[in-house]
Amino acid sequence: MGRLLLVCRLAVKDLRYRPVQALLLLLAIAAGAATLTLGLSLQGTTNNPYARTRTVTNGPDVVASFFPGNSNASGPATGVNPGGSNTPGTGAGEAAATSLLPLEHASGVVAHSGPYPVTWTLLQIGHTTGSAEVEGRNSGSSPVDHPRLMQGTWVRPGGVVVEAAFASAFGIHVGDSLRLGGTAFRVVGTAVTAAIPAYPGTCGRPIGCFLVGNIGSYNPGLVWATEADAKQLAGSSGPEAYLLNLKLNNPAKARAFVNRYDNNASSTAPTLYSWQSIRDGDAQVIAKVQKVLFTGSWLLALLALTSVAVLVGGRMTEQTRRVGLLKAVGGTPRFVAVVLLFEHVLVGLCAAGVGLLVGWQVAPLVDKPGAGLLGAPSAPSLTGTTVALVVAVALAVAIVATFVPAIRAARQSTVAALEDSARPPRRSAAVINLSAHLPAPLLLGARLVVRRPRRLLLSVFSVAVTTSGLVAVLIIHARSATWSLGPQVIQATTIISVMLIVLAAVNAVFIAWTTALEARHPAALARALGATPEQITTGLSVAFLPPALLGALLGIPGGIAIYDGARSGGGTTTLPSALWLVAMVILTLLVIAGLTAVPTRIGARRPVAEVLQAETA
Amino acid sequence: MNEPEKVLVRAQGLRKEYGREGGLARAVNSVDLEVARGEALAIMGPSGCGKSTLLHLIGGLDRPSAGELWLAGRRIDRLSERELARLRRHEVGFVFQAYHLMDELTAQENVELPALLAGRSPGEARRRARQLLDQVGLAERADYLPSALSGGQRQRVAIARALANEPQLVLADEPTGNLDSAATLEVLRLFEALHAAGLTLVIVTHDERIAATADRLISMRDGTFVDETHLAGGTRGNLVDLAGLGSE
Amino acid sequence: MQQEVVLAMLAKEPSQGYQLRARLDRALGPLGEAMNDGQVYVTLGRLEKAGFITRRVAAGTSTDRKLYELTPAGQERVTEWLSEVSWPKPDLAEFHLKLIAAAQAGLADPIGIVDMQRRELLRRLREVERAAMAEPEHSDAGLLLEGIVLRLQADLRWLEACERVWTEWRSKS
Repeated sequence: MGRLLLVCRLAVKDLRYRPVQALLLLLAIAAGAATLTLGLSLQGTTNNPYARTRTVTNGPDVVASFFPGNSNASGPATGVNPGGSNTPGTGAGEAAATSLLPLEHASGVVAHSGPYPVTWTLLQIGHTTGSAEVEGRNSGSSPVDHPRLMQGTWVRPGGVVVEAAFASAFGIHVGDSLRLGGTAFRVVGTAVTAAIPAYPGTCGRPIGCFLVGNIGSYNPGLVWATEADAKQLAGSSGPEAYLLNLKLNNPAKARAFVNRYDNNASSTAPTLYSWQSIRDGDAQVIAKVQKVLFTGSWLLALLALTSVAVLVGGRMTEQTRRVGLLKAVGGTPRFVAVVLLFEHVLVGLCAAGVGLLVGWQVAPLVDKPGAGLLGAPSAPSLTGTTVALVVAVALAVAIVATFVPAIRAARQSTVAALEDSARPPRRSAAVINLSAHLPAPLLLGARLVVRRPRRLLLSVFSVAVTTSGLVAVLIIHARSATWSLGPQVIQATTIISVMLIVLAAVNAVFIAWTTALEARHPAALARALGATPEQITTGLSVAFLPPALLGALLGIPGGIAIYDGARSGGGTTTLPSALWLVAMVILTLLVIAGLTAVPTRIGARRPVAEVLQAETA
Repeated sequence: MNEPEKVLVRAQGLRKEYGREGGLARAVNSVDLEVARGEALAIMGPSGCGKSTLLHLIGGLDRPSAGELWLAGRRIDRLSERELARLRRHEVGFVFQAYHLMDELTAQENVELPALLAGRSPGEARRRARQLLDQVGLAERADYLPSALSGGQRQRVAIARALANEPQLVLADEPTGNLDSAATLEVLRLFEALHAAGLTLVIVTHDERIAATADRLISMRDGTFVDETHLAGGTRGNLVDLAGLGSE
Repeated sequence: MQQEVVLAMLAKEPSQGYQLRARLDRALGPLGEAMNDGQVYVTLGRLEKAGFITRRVAAGTSTDRKLYELTPAGQERVTEWLSEVSWPKPDLAEFHLKLIAAAQAGLADPIGIVDMQRRELLRRLREVERAAMAEPEHSDAGLLLEGIVLRLQADLRWLEACERVWTEWRSKS
């Protein structure tokens, strides 16, 4: 018991003696824990909002779509030309009725609404151009899928209702006037529905869309109009599709129903979709967001780990000496290891706690279902596994941070540990020879930076991870021109980018700070031999640029790899423009140079005599 | 240009204080000093008397709180950091008690560093370093790391380094503080040679043997000078007595 | 000159006076030069009188060349002397009492006396060091000189302590 108390006292004393360093370590581990928590806790959070919307709007269990003008019955996706002749409008309507009629009376169906005509057309509001999927409705209420008005009133001749997420994304308000296919309409309301996925997933996989020509250049959103208006917009060729909403006596059997009646072989048969796949369509956006956040949180965790490694490395000499001291006054190597471990476990547990708390609070903020579904998701719960995993990772980091100095000190003699001859700086004859030809600041900078090769590697790694993330984000944005992402994904990528940059900046400062601390003796010596403080500051800042450049260049293939690995489905990866990449690299170099200048500057101004005396004490 | 000043270092009312009100410590307290060109001056005193601080002030490693300091006719107490650095590069060579060699550089690379910092070409710096190492008798250890050298050898490398840019003034702070008797002799010989070559030396020490080689010895206590002795011109004829060989 | 020293020098082989002198010179270096020729012969005379050495005539030379040689008693004495561990006495009491007397009688300032003595010793130290540095490395004389240097250093340290203590005494009274 007495030993345990002693261990506690020693550990707490050390933490209080160097509170800043302990705090920095805690923050670094907490950052990693928070991002890990964020990534892990975003699971299936669209369930509730979709369910709510379904209940309120009496959403359908099965939706059947029929494309009259095509040889293949299933709705084509973006930009595919329909081929085949188009039947005139009324004929199309009859064809739809014949195709869809049997379904209305199929076994298990208790109610239906539609078939509603659907056409796709260009949308213009103000100076913005987009495209819209226009569904024709009557002005009364429908038995199945009665969209819930968020604002305004339902459709009337000349008045359209815009889907809420679409309206939010494009800044469309009740009372605005817009043009659909050239014809002017007034917006009379906004509404949500459970029958079609909300923007930006309206033309996602489940339903399929008919996007031809320049309509396909934009991501369409849903707009309701009167049937007459919709048919008029469709023009002489008639509506491109008809939608039938079905309600089953047993919603759970929706998938089975679809399997029974969906007939891909026949070219004139309608295509069926269950409510689950529509929900997944809504969830697709969230899935994208989650993927971005999940991948991003791993990158952030790597950066946090780098911070920890830098901080621990910076304390290594001091810790080794402490171990030597404890051994010298009679502690066994095991006792010493226990003290170190205790200290770091304390820090690790606190950090895990902080990280879990922060991650849990932040998750709802990024995980909003968006305007297209009702209500907020249930606060992502911290499952037992999430908590356990985060705590385990934080402890693992803390333990590794302990073991390295403990093992190192246990292996070597007490004297060596005390004298700090334990970690002599690395000698690189090549750098020494080459730097002799450089001007004084670069000579000093190169030699100082190369003393700790591991730290150099860490700085390359930190920049590489960051630029990988940024390049992946750039790729996402490069692709979004052809298929718009929607505000949530953009929000997620922005958050991840900002956090990556912040953590990377913190890393750069840590690395510069530990380097300046460790180099203060040789720097003071150089000053005693005639170097000016400016030369030292400049030299160190510039010396960190080549590793930063290497890291930035490595980030380009890294980012491509991340994007390829994270997304599902095939297709080529669009590279972001070379201009953006070059700009990113240059900006990285400037930022690194600026950040390293600050800590080195502070260290370079102390009086030389003071530093040199301190080292001999 | 004018002929070189006969007085190389001049200090008037030099003061250095640490701390703030209520805790002010005067490390150097109104010191007046003159060092002639070519002179060897020793400053002795107990620990904490301020002799090292005084040396740092003369060498431009620290700035005085008050007073005037002149080196080779130039006033240096108000110089900027950059100009002080120039001073350290060309006029002054410093030898420390703890040697302060860079652990990861060989003896030769340590000695050529000041020359490289002063802008000499690598080839020239290397030649000069080789020459200096030869002068201090370490030519065959030029490629050794400091960890492979004894204390006396390290100090000799440090002395060679101090001479790299041909300074007018060499300042030594307890140069034999960490050395044993034999190593001290090596360093003594070197200082004698430098003195004979016309270099001006100011040595801070509490080793009487070093002090005795100087032309002039100043005793310092509590930041001020308390005694001055001229040592040139010794006594002869008592050697035999000293050795215990006198008649009984 | 210590009698036993000369005796021991003859232990190697019988020698003539001038040979003895030469060996002493080599061992003592510059100190040897300062030595008086006569001292050696006086010591040799005393030793002969005490019965530790005998004088005989060198074979094959003129009768002037005398060879000195150890007697058995002399041999014994040398062996005894080599194993003795007595050490030359320090003689600090005289100076110590000088300071006390000066202080008590008010005749002179003890610190002034100490300072004067210090200066003198420093100058001597300087001389001896010069001589030591002029010697080649690993010479016997160099070793002797180093011993003198170190003793002077020890004495100087004691004088520093004297100065410290007597300064306190002065400030108290």
